[in-house]
Amino acid sequence: MAAPVPSSDASAGRDAVIAVTDLSVEAGRRHILSIERLAVARGDLVSVMGPNGSGKTTLLRVCLGLQPATAGQVRVFGRRLKPSDGAGLAGLRRRIGYVPQLLPVRSELPMTVREVVAIGRTARAGLFHALSRDDWDAVDHWMARLGLAPLANRAFGEISGGEQRKAIIARAMAQEPELLLLDEPAANLDLGWRERMVETVETLYAETRVSVVLVCHELEVLPPSCRHVVLLDAGRVAATGSPEAVFTTDRIRRLFGASLRAVHEGGRHAVVPQGGGHD
Amino acid sequence: MKAGAMRSCPREAAMIDLVFWAPVMAAGALTGASSGALGTFIVGMRIPFLGICVAHAALAGAVFGGLCGLEGQQLLLPGLAGAVLTALALGLVNPQRVRLDDNTVLSFLFSATMGLAFLGIGLYGILGRSDNDVRALLWGSLNFCRWTDVGLMTGTSLLLFAYMGLFFKELRAILFSRADAEAAGIRATAVWTGFLILTAGTLTVNFQAVGGLMIYSLISNPAAAAFQVTRGCRRVLVLSGVFGAASGLGGFLIAAATDLPSGAVIVLVSSALVGAAALFGRARRR
Repeated sequence: MAAPVPSSDASAGRDAVIAVTDLSVEAGRRHILSIERLAVARGDLVSVMGPNGSGKTTLLRVCLGLQPATAGQVRVFGRRLKPSDGAGLAGLRRRIGYVPQLLPVRSELPMTVREVVAIGRTARAGLFHALSRDDWDAVDHWMARLGLAPLANRAFGEISGGEQRKAIIARAMAQEPELLLLDEPAANLDLGWRERMVETVETLYAETRVSVVLVCHELEVLPPSCRHVVLLDAGRVAATGSPEAVFTTDRIRRLFGASLRAVHEGGRHAVVPQGGGHD
Repeated sequence: MKAGAMRSCPREAAMIDLVFWAPVMAAGALTGASSGALGTFIVGMRIPFLGICVAHAALAGAVFGGLCGLEGQQLLLPGLAGAVLTALALGLVNPQRVRLDDNTVLSFLFSATMGLAFLGIGLYGILGRSDNDVRALLWGSLNFCRWTDVGLMTGTSLLLFAYMGLFFKELRAILFSRADAEAAGIRATAVWTGFLILTAGTLTVNFQAVGGLMIYSLISNPAAAAFQVTRGCRRVLVLSGVFGAASGLGGFLIAAATDLPSGAVIVLVSSALVGAAALFGRARRR
């Protein structure tokens, strides 16, 4: 597996599911992202981390073609993203499972959990075709895998926040993606649900070996299989490497300006206030 | 004209009345069913105001069509053009790109189309022409619906139902989240814009029969009632259509039996359905 951002490593772009070169994203005069090189190898689990507003979500949206780049090149599955190529973008997105940071709250209709998961099969089935028996089997399979089967006929709005996030992950997995983009999957979850979410991501990755880009800002959310971290700060890549190499106590203090230190133990990682925990 | 006129007539006269009122009843049921089904998506996406916005865009089109010399059924064409243009504007605007909520875009379109409509109506006075045809559009005239109107309503409703059937899974995904649907590779903008154009056509045809207020209630209330008593997109869609048809037909029959204005009774029946459904839903959840 290639490291995610070796800007000097020319081989990083080979067999990369995501390859970014000289990317710049601006909103008005505000600079949001400026990345010289970034590559995510097929089958890798890469975490993009950084403080709030560092450009993590924007990077995912650019990779999905949902946000245009001001300059530079983004290739997904080797294909260059062009905002004007609607059909091409739709085709690429069908191969990407996306779990957004914010759960949809627009719909007032009491849609069932099974229907929500089935959305993952919609684009695969294609226009003018109803979902087939195979599609529904895939929906039921991922619901069962994520422990959602008993909730199948409950309204999505009636289940807990953690269950809703699992349903959205099941929706993404039902798509049978080659690349899974998870944007803060553990946001607003209590400790128990957060741990279940980490286990879910770890299990999914271990069993399917799908390429995963996990955006988060808490070290505790990193699953043990994540050995590559890209640290963003103010829209730029501040560091890359293993969680232990990237999250040194010095860097954490510099980034967050607080008396914090990193703890790495048993493949898991955490940040504790200075004086707490043990190295 | 009161629908209840047929209640107190002798048997033969009642038969004649039935022949007269049959297209009215059919129009009420059809308008209710198609508007109710539309409401599943429109209310589901929290944009019930779309109905009244499109209706006023149709009115603006018809007003200017009238100023250009069109009259009667001919006004349907400019009305349809106004409604479709508004639907296109709403469908093609990417809410994320313009950073405006759908309802804010609707408010802008509504105020613009209503301003245009009333400007046009004002011009009728300045030019010394009769604006009876367009005023009839504003309030609708269900009791004057004939079989030709019913035929037109049936055609647009069938088109709408066929579209809903063909793109049901895409519409369901859009209903959950248009942004998520785009991100999943669904051609959400194309499917949603197509749906809005058909919505514009259906509402324009229904609008001349029942007017803006009744359209608004027949879009909002049946869907709101269905949301209370069942779950799942398909079930809600069917039930919403049934509630809409029941409101249209039931409201007319109650009006006929009580000699009350049919439009008002239809609106009140659909409102009562929401209350009853809310009570039923609450009792069931306990």
